[in-house]
Amino acid sequence: MMHQKILSGTLTALTDRDAHLRLDGLTKRYGDTDAVAALNLNVPKGELVALLGPSGCGKTTTLRMIAGLITPSGGRIVVGGSDITRMPVYKRDMGLVFQSYALFPHMTVAKNVAFGLEMRGVPKPEIERRVTEALAMVRLESLAGRKPRELSGGQQQRVALARALVIRPSILLLDEPLSNLDAKLRDEMRNEIRDIQQKLGITAVFVTHDQVEALSMCDKVVVMKGGKLEQVGTPVDVYERPETPFVASFVGRTNRLEGAARGDGTVSVGGATLRVPGRPNGPVEIMMRPHRVRLADVDASPAGEGTNRLDGRLTRVTFVGDLLQYHVDVNGAELIVEAASDHGRFFRAVGTPVTLSWRIEDTMVFRRAA
Amino acid sequence: MSVAVAESVIPVPRPALGRVGTATLLLLPIALVNAVGFLLPVLNLLRMSFNEALSGGGIRETFTLANWVGLAGDSFYLELILNSVVVSLTITALTLVLSYPIALYLHRSSGRWRTFLTVLVISPLLTSAVVRTYGWIALLADQGPITSAIAALGFAPPRLMFNTTGVVIGLVEILMPYMILSLLAGFGRLDPRVEEAAMTLGARPVKTFWRVVLPLTLPGIALGCLLCFVLAVSSFITPKLLGGGRVFLLATEIYDQAIVTLNWPLASTLSILVLVIFGAALAVYARILRAID
Repeated sequence: MMHQKILSGTLTALTDRDAHLRLDGLTKRYGDTDAVAALNLNVPKGELVALLGPSGCGKTTTLRMIAGLITPSGGRIVVGGSDITRMPVYKRDMGLVFQSYALFPHMTVAKNVAFGLEMRGVPKPEIERRVTEALAMVRLESLAGRKPRELSGGQQQRVALARALVIRPSILLLDEPLSNLDAKLRDEMRNEIRDIQQKLGITAVFVTHDQVEALSMCDKVVVMKGGKLEQVGTPVDVYERPETPFVASFVGRTNRLEGAARGDGTVSVGGATLRVPGRPNGPVEIMMRPHRVRLADVDASPAGEGTNRLDGRLTRVTFVGDLLQYHVDVNGAELIVEAASDHGRFFRAVGTPVTLSWRIEDTMVFRRAA
Repeated sequence: MSVAVAESVIPVPRPALGRVGTATLLLLPIALVNAVGFLLPVLNLLRMSFNEALSGGGIRETFTLANWVGLAGDSFYLELILNSVVVSLTITALTLVLSYPIALYLHRSSGRWRTFLTVLVISPLLTSAVVRTYGWIALLADQGPITSAIAALGFAPPRLMFNTTGVVIGLVEILMPYMILSLLAGFGRLDPRVEEAAMTLGARPVKTFWRVVLPLTLPGIALGCLLCFVLAVSSFITPKLLGGGRVFLLATEIYDQAIVTLNWPLASTLSILVLVIFGAALAVYARILRAID
């Protein structure tokens, strides 16, 4: 008896953690093209999930379907167990932060934040209390009486966030919220949004084309391409173990080589032989991250255990402040090596023959259509 | 030293006149045209309103308040002024109500469809108001298609012409393009994202309209109403033709006094009154704009 109770308690806990937001074959068709094609996704309660992809990959369309601003052509949207696919926007209880913030220009900051509460018929004293609370959360108490146009971009962004959160939405939706901010402010807001999301324990979907935002803020990253999922995983998963060449090159920078795998864990690339994890066969592409490759003087001795090596010639060095980017020509292919910039000192002058080396486990290999 | 070098290398064109001088020069032609073509005639009107009318259209140059005092004491003219303002406000309100949805739809449409609709909205302006008024006479006449249709439905056929109703119908249609264009010009602040934001925050479409769309379109509404009110007060061809001499408004009365009765001092007095009404309308408009901001 007792046992059963504990068990059922565990079960409830499990279902609670299980998919607060569920997309079931969600599809949006425009004419003959699928902007979003049969998307399946589970977002557990309290997680921040990034929809990451290039423009036109369907990430914003997906977000707008969740918000109810676009009607899906097919599939279902389920929140907390109930199907909301056909529910009108104003009943959905979603907090949406727009890329352009979309604040009400004719209302003060406080009125903007109060709007959602007024629509819900919350009593006046409570509205006042919750607006004050929400503005304190985004550190804008002192600007409650200002109009949006009197605020900076970062402040407008925080008002938009407060306005979306004050209604205690079931899900927070963020549509490229940082793309209109300058770089320094973007870093700050990134942490601020993440902190608030964690503090409130709110389920959130974050649309971005910026891999840094996706990796640094989110519990889970959903990489999309052409309306389809490419890969779903933790930030470390998609960066370290990309399942497709697209994910590898979109999430982080990559060097790319084409070769023929022999089926014994080696790949012939040009004249050289590289060792790769696994035993692929046939035409493959090989990728490695520029910062995982080391640059050294040409060395005739055999490559060390667990290491791949290629010889080339330094063709260009770019100083980008914290990094030095060495461009190396390897039999006609250009590879890039990134190294921490050491007071701007270059490794070798342009034109010098060099050797590139990297660990076998840092070699990503993907099957390639012949 | 280095400044001198820089100046010799990059010759900075210096305006012959200062910034203010250039502005004055550019504004001078239109200022002159307005002075000669508008300000002088208006001053002349003002002077004439203090002259004395002689029978047979003569004017005696003098200074008398007779015209103004006469107006103030004549209930016909007081009613005329009131009637003009009320009819013009009615026309403005109806024009707004009929034009607003069209303007909103136009604002939201895009591409070729929008171009086509815009042309459709503007096209009535390519026909003179006189022609369009005659069109309305044909439509609204006692045995015309509209009254006949209403009669065929079993209702008592209303009189739609030679009364205020006819004037209102005709002027509303004539003023609609101006209203639609003014509304569109003032819809700049209406961002579809802001409407979406209101809806995601729980506002139903009707609430979204009242709380967000309407306030954001107020500048356009104010502009359109000002323009249509001024045009309604000053129009005389349509009231003359559709009113059939039975609808008395300021503009038609000015026309009658100036052309038929040849009482120019009285016509001038009434004209100055119309200008005062316009001034009041402008003041209200300015106040509204300030309030919106």
